[in-house]
Amino acid sequence: MKIAVAGKGGSGKTTISATLTRVLARRGHRVTAIDGDPNPNLGTALGMSREQLGELVRVPKEIMEVKEEGERRTLVLTRPVEEITAEYGTEAPDGVNLMVMTGVDHAGGG
Amino acid sequence: MRGLLGELATGKQGEEVTITDMEASIEHMSRATVRHVEGMLVVTEPYFRSLETVGRIAPLARELGIEHVWAVANKVRGHRDEEIIRSYCADHGIEVGGVVQWDEAIQEADREGRALMDYEPAAPAVVSIERIADLLEQRVDQTRGNGRGD
Repeated sequence: MKIAVAGKGGSGKTTISATLTRVLARRGHRVTAIDGDPNPNLGTALGMSREQLGELVRVPKEIMEVKEEGERRTLVLTRPVEEITAEYGTEAPDGVNLMVMTGVDHAGGG
Repeated sequence: MRGLLGELATGKQGEEVTITDMEASIEHMSRATVRHVEGMLVVTEPYFRSLETVGRIAPLARELGIEHVWAVANKVRGHRDEEIIRSYCADHGIEVGGVVQWDEAIQEADREGRALMDYEPAAPAVVSIERIADLLEQRVDQTRGNGRGD
């Protein structure tokens, strides 16, 4: 299942996202947490160490292409998802895979 | 037998889950960003400007084709706070998916730069978030199997 967490800045959405992620991971799900905030701090909220946080690599914009068909804009991955996860994913506690995707959805403007 | 084991292996326990912590502003929420998202939690605090944000995001999320949209009440300090959120959501046709109480453990964990889950795994806020996980497992899983696997 794919879940998005939204809300006003300061509403506590990052704490809720991180805790929900850890709860689902402890229940045996394979969880990928995606940080889409321009000021990414999901890693800290997930409980990653300073050292692990230093290893985080943002997923580059080039990984996705925006295809426009009339009014419809869709994002298309330029490489297989497994490859992207292996290269840019970082392991967080409880086996969570964290990816920092900030800025990706602005590719192509709009 | 093999088939059964296969089903168990791919059942609820091993489900692939993605949780995306989205950008705060909704101007960037587009069909492209939320493609394949089945459920959205819109976190709100018990005051009007925060609720107004939910009132804007929820219809937009539905318009973009997200099947389940829930408000999640956060930093709730009592019955009155919960009532404010429930009444706003009822008036705007938004389902409340969870209520997370004000929890000092969150501030303490933040101060130390630790995860709430590591700082106090039995904190009231964690228990509330476990209920949200129950909701997602029950409601979002049921809508799967429509051949959208990717």
